[in-house]
Amino acid sequence: MSKIDEVKAKVEAGKSKLVPGLVQEALDAGNTPQDILDAMVASMGVIGEKFSTGEIFVPEMLVAAKAMSKGVDVLKPHLAGDGSSKLGTCIIGTVEGDLHDIGKNLVSLMIESAGFDIVDLGVDVPAEKFIEAIKENTNVKIVACSGLLTSTMPAMRKTVAAINASGLTGFKVIVGGAPVTPEFAAEIGADGFALDAGTAAVKAKELAAA
Amino acid sequence: MLTKRQNLMETIKGGKPDRFVKQYEFMNLILEAPMGAMVGPGQTIKNGWGITFTWPEGQLGGFPIHDAAHKVLKDITEWRKYVKAPAVETSDEAWAPAVAHANAVDRNEEFVTAFVAPGIFEMTHHLMGMEDALMALYEEPEDMHDLIDYLVDYELAYAKVMVDHIHPDAIFHHDDWGSQRSSFVSPEMFEEFFVPAYKKIYGFYKDNGVELIVHHSDSYAANLVPAMIEMGIDIWQGVMTTNNVPELIKKYGKQISFMGDIDSGVIDFAGWTPEIVAEYTEKACKQCGKLYFIPGASHGLNFGCYPGVYESNDEAIDKMSKEMF
Repeated sequence: MSKIDEVKAKVEAGKSKLVPGLVQEALDAGNTPQDILDAMVASMGVIGEKFSTGEIFVPEMLVAAKAMSKGVDVLKPHLAGDGSSKLGTCIIGTVEGDLHDIGKNLVSLMIESAGFDIVDLGVDVPAEKFIEAIKENTNVKIVACSGLLTSTMPAMRKTVAAINASGLTGFKVIVGGAPVTPEFAAEIGADGFALDAGTAAVKAKELAAA
Repeated sequence: MLTKRQNLMETIKGGKPDRFVKQYEFMNLILEAPMGAMVGPGQTIKNGWGITFTWPEGQLGGFPIHDAAHKVLKDITEWRKYVKAPAVETSDEAWAPAVAHANAVDRNEEFVTAFVAPGIFEMTHHLMGMEDALMALYEEPEDMHDLIDYLVDYELAYAKVMVDHIHPDAIFHHDDWGSQRSSFVSPEMFEEFFVPAYKKIYGFYKDNGVELIVHHSDSYAANLVPAMIEMGIDIWQGVMTTNNVPELIKKYGKQISFMGDIDSGVIDFAGWTPEIVAEYTEKACKQCGKLYFIPGASHGLNFGCYPGVYESNDEAIDKMSKEMF
């Protein structure tokens, strides 16, 4: 097994104590930092697929993400540029009136693992705060709105409408959460919908590249 | 006509019920039992474990706060230092209202039911935050086992006092084990960490006069049904439509019954109407049938989030009983 394959395997297995050493070994073996990073991103893509199909669950996703994060810490001093992501920035939050965060946190983790910089606004986020965050951050490519409650779907509608009416451009809006459907997403003017954390990362990459 | 208790037993034993069980009607919930501080609408409180809960106005429930200033347990390896169970209330004076209520119940008609919340899984993430609790199952399994044992011991200490005072016939026990679409942990992890805990807890109740264990989890948890049977659950309340309830009834009905198949999100919201409630109730009753199934909203306890919904659901179930029995 090559060093890079070992890194991939251990990220997928969530071995956060082993991954930093393996990443260093992969660097020492002559692999480029970008190749190693791309390999870890691919591992998280596998994790996302397995989560979407029900093969793995939240703990497995969390420990894999932690393992990747430990690996990225080793790579950071070696990566070229100012450290900002090639894929851009994702602003994410749970909409106003809703305090649920675990779904939003998992999506955040997977989108970051896919290669975006994340700005997490937290929970109970009014529309104005999403708009402020878009203005204050550079290279915003994705704005992700999460909501778990049927009763906060009006807030999601209001948020997406406000973002669309703001005149700000250069990004796409995705929505998700238990009561959200593709039909609702289209109705309220979102650019995309994701069923879960795994597919959210895939959708974010697709929309950012479009 | 069968009593509510008899009708429930006929339903879950596969006998001859004469109508649909109407949601919680068979459970006379003794909510006066001392349970420690619980957050109410508009409040922020710290409970006996040191966990801070907030319930902002306009929200449907309370949430624990897990920022750095409020999280009780930041490092699972130090749980013994930071997790201190509150004293169990034992005074007759504190239990008097619950005892009076329990003694007033006609046990031929209804089950005297104790409500227990939060459950063991919930306690781990109330103390640590969800992400830390779930990762700790992988990273520090021995400490998690020990913490869970400590939490079980606390519940058993409370259970003994509760049983001594009100002699419950049924337990309605809260512990959410999943999201709408998946369980939080794999069946294997659940078997390792939480099945032994609940076998002890539900085993204690059944050894001490409790006839019925009703477990609440308004979630997906179809993959945990074998474990529910193993731990002694008689009725899974809160079973959401994402579980394919008719299939579960077919596969497991003789071993466990299912209460729900009407997702609260689609009937219990600001714009609800009796027609919407009736539509989803009819669908649930027709697809799930008369045995091993109790129709009702997935939400826990015998009230809706919006006024009138629970009662409308009862009316819709009455209508289905007239039509199908």
